[in-house]
Amino acid sequence: MHAVVCVKQVPEQNSVKITADKQINSDGINPIINLFDEYAIEEALQWAEKNDGQVTVISLGSDDATDSLKKALAMGANEAVLINDPALEHVDSQSAAKVVAAAIKKLDNVNIVFCGKQSTDDETGQFGPALARFLGWPQLTYVFKVHELSETSIVVDRALEDTLETVEASLPVVVTAVKDLNEPRYPSLLKIRKVSKQPIPTWSLGDLGLGGSDVAGNVQVADRVPPPARPSGEMISGNVQTQVSSLVQKLVENQIL
Amino acid sequence: MDFQLTQEQQELRQTVREFAERELLPKAKEVDEKAQIPASTWKKMADTGLMGLPFAEELGGAGADAISAALAVEEIARCCGSTALSYAAHVGLGSAPIAMFGNDQQKQQFLRPAAEGRYLGAFGLTEPHAGSDAGSTRTTAVREGNEWVINGAKMWITNAAEAGHLIVTAITNKDRGKRGISAIIIPQGTPGVHFGSPEHKMGLRGSNTHAITFDNVRVPAENLLGAEGDGFVQFLKVLDGGRISIGAMAIGLGVAAMEAAVSYARERQAFGHAIGSYQSISNMLADMDTELEAARLLILRAAWLKENGKPFTREAAIAKLYASEASERACRNAVQIFGGYGYSSEYPVERYYRDTRLLTIGEGTSEILRMVISRGLLGELA
Ligand SMILES: Cc1cc2nc3c(=O)[nH]c(=O)nc-3n(C[C@H](O)[C@H](O)[C@H](O)COP(=O)(O)OP(=O)(O)OC[C@H]3O[C@@H](n4cnc5c(N)ncnc54)[C@H](O)[C@@H]3O)c2cc1C
Ligand SMILES: Cc1cc2nc3c(=O)[nH]c(=O)nc-3n(C[C@H](O)[C@H](O)[C@H](O)COP(=O)(O)OP(=O)(O)OC[C@H]3O[C@@H](n4cnc5c(N)ncnc54)[C@H](O)[C@@H]3O)c2cc1C
Repeated sequence: MHAVVCVKQVPEQNSVKITADKQINSDGINPIINLFDEYAIEEALQWAEKNDGQVTVISLGSDDATDSLKKALAMGANEAVLINDPALEHVDSQSAAKVVAAAIKKLDNVNIVFCGKQSTDDETGQFGPALARFLGWPQLTYVFKVHELSETSIVVDRALEDTLETVEASLPVVVTAVKDLNEPRYPSLLKIRKVSKQPIPTWSLGDLGLGGSDVAGNVQVADRVPPPARPSGEMISGNVQTQVSSLVQKLVENQIL
Repeated sequence: MDFQLTQEQQELRQTVREFAERELLPKAKEVDEKAQIPASTWKKMADTGLMGLPFAEELGGAGADAISAALAVEEIARCCGSTALSYAAHVGLGSAPIAMFGNDQQKQQFLRPAAEGRYLGAFGLTEPHAGSDAGSTRTTAVREGNEWVINGAKMWITNAAEAGHLIVTAITNKDRGKRGISAIIIPQGTPGVHFGSPEHKMGLRGSNTHAITFDNVRVPAENLLGAEGDGFVQFLKVLDGGRISIGAMAIGLGVAAMEAAVSYARERQAFGHAIGSYQSISNMLADMDTELEAARLLILRAAWLKENGKPFTREAAIAKLYASEASERACRNAVQIFGGYGYSSEYPVERYYRDTRLLTIGEGTSEILRMVISRGLLGELA
């Protein structure tokens, strides 16, 4: 079994700034692996361990994204690939999926791709489904449990708005992970040391047989504004009795009670 | 001169920080209140490779350097002091002596399970009547056939009752003074070892500390660590390394106190302004930052010397003395900045203050360290 996990590096908190030209400035904010992708990595690792398979992690991003790839390697992934090309700087989800699909085709015998259900920065939720389309594979989205995974088929539970669905599909397939699919492991400190100096292979668009016109993109961000700031909370002080009574009073004043 | 951490050191530090923030910080208050570190914490630390961080990969360790090991202790202490003390004692006192002085058999039998985190290690040097003056040990070990028979008592031993093995110092030849002290490994469950109930401590309450008595405790002769009579010299070397850990722990607690004080000073209003706008407060914060930074440089230098096989006794003593006292000032002032709230267990700063208080006492009191350092200046006086 060869599983690919798509990993996106995102800013840790949602306190990014919007610059004058409507781009996102995340300077000084710790970059991390997209939350949902961590579940995808863990699930791929668990099944690869059971099935004696291997896991390749792919990230499309700048050179900084090697940090996330190294973290995934230290969690136990076997190989990592970075896709980095100047033409990809402001790529949209659709084109990103096209590029990653080309990379997956370039890899050997991939049976399954795990992604997060969405990224915590752009939150389009389109990457996984678009990837499945470009690969021509079935997609299993919002997966919260994988019951069985063999060389040929998979059985999962999907968490939909008001239904839980159990689905069986044949491989190859694209799976998108929701939170709580598993408990992601921490990277091994021993492996961190080992991968620290390991170079990560980088593929450009040319390496994938693509050019700038393939990723021109259909979506333009017309505007970006920060959401209105939330009013700051109020601390109620005093002993328990006065705290409770002033809390109740405020709830009544605001017509919550 | 190069003040930059290597890529590897930065990555190890970041990983331990994330682990500690997610796994240790949320439990720290409860660990203090219940005076217990949950077994699941040790299991998770073992899974990441923390429990054997500085030991060789062949022995179940992660093979990290002394600087990374110190940074790991700092990060753990920043989130949970109790866990940091038990961890530092496990690595630096309970396990390191076997890595330093043990033979292959002892490394496989005792260091490997400790480094893999299957159990905690402990080190018993201090006795009821022998603390700073550890050379005045009274515990004895007498050779009978193929065994050592140990009698006596130890005091203040971290991790003792949970430990998979216990390294103890004992007199094996009473005519040779300090040269008659040896170190012997006692496996868990050996008959005749009795633990007192956990000490009720001011701080670091989650880290269990016990008195121990030895009543005709028999262990195989091959459990002698290194050569007979080397115990005193061995533990001086062990304490040099331990002081780097304790200093790193002091910095972690001090940083936690500083971070809490900074955010409180931004928010708390008095006389119409955030209290951070008053110089009495902002100067305290500036001093904390300055002193903790200086302490970190001292600790990292001592760790660098250790890693590079150079003498570091003086540097470790200076670093531990300065770091523990800087941390105490930082925690004291954090309580001050919190005003009345600093005196309440609702906020963590009172815990940091209690926790850091040990660090000018354990593994060489400030007085003993000043003695060590000044002797280096003065030499033998008439
Ligand atoms: C929480 C905790 C955990 C510990 N864990 C361990 C452990 O795992 N293993 C272990 O072996 N020990 C452990 N210890 C013991 C610790 O190392 C000793 O408490 C420490 O060495 C001081 O010894 P003492 O308590 O006997 O104090 P004493 O040595 O009696 O000192 C009392 C006071 O006298 C001062 N003093 C002593 N001699 C001199 C001198 N010559 N000149 C000037 N002043 C002097 C000291 O500085 C101190 O202020 C632990 C202690 C605590 C509290
Ligand atoms: C155990 C206990 C018992 C108490 N008993 C009583 C009682 O019986 N009755 C009662 O009325 N109160 C009582 N108090 C409250 C106590 O008097 C207050 O905690 C104290 O006055 C400090 O106020 P605060 O905690 O609000 O701190 P704050 O006033 O918020 O001060 C926080 C920090 O800012 C500093 N600061 C504030 N303003 C300035 C400034 N202009 N310039 C420089 N620094 C500044 C302070 O020195 C402190 O370091 C008690 C408190 C405790 C902990």
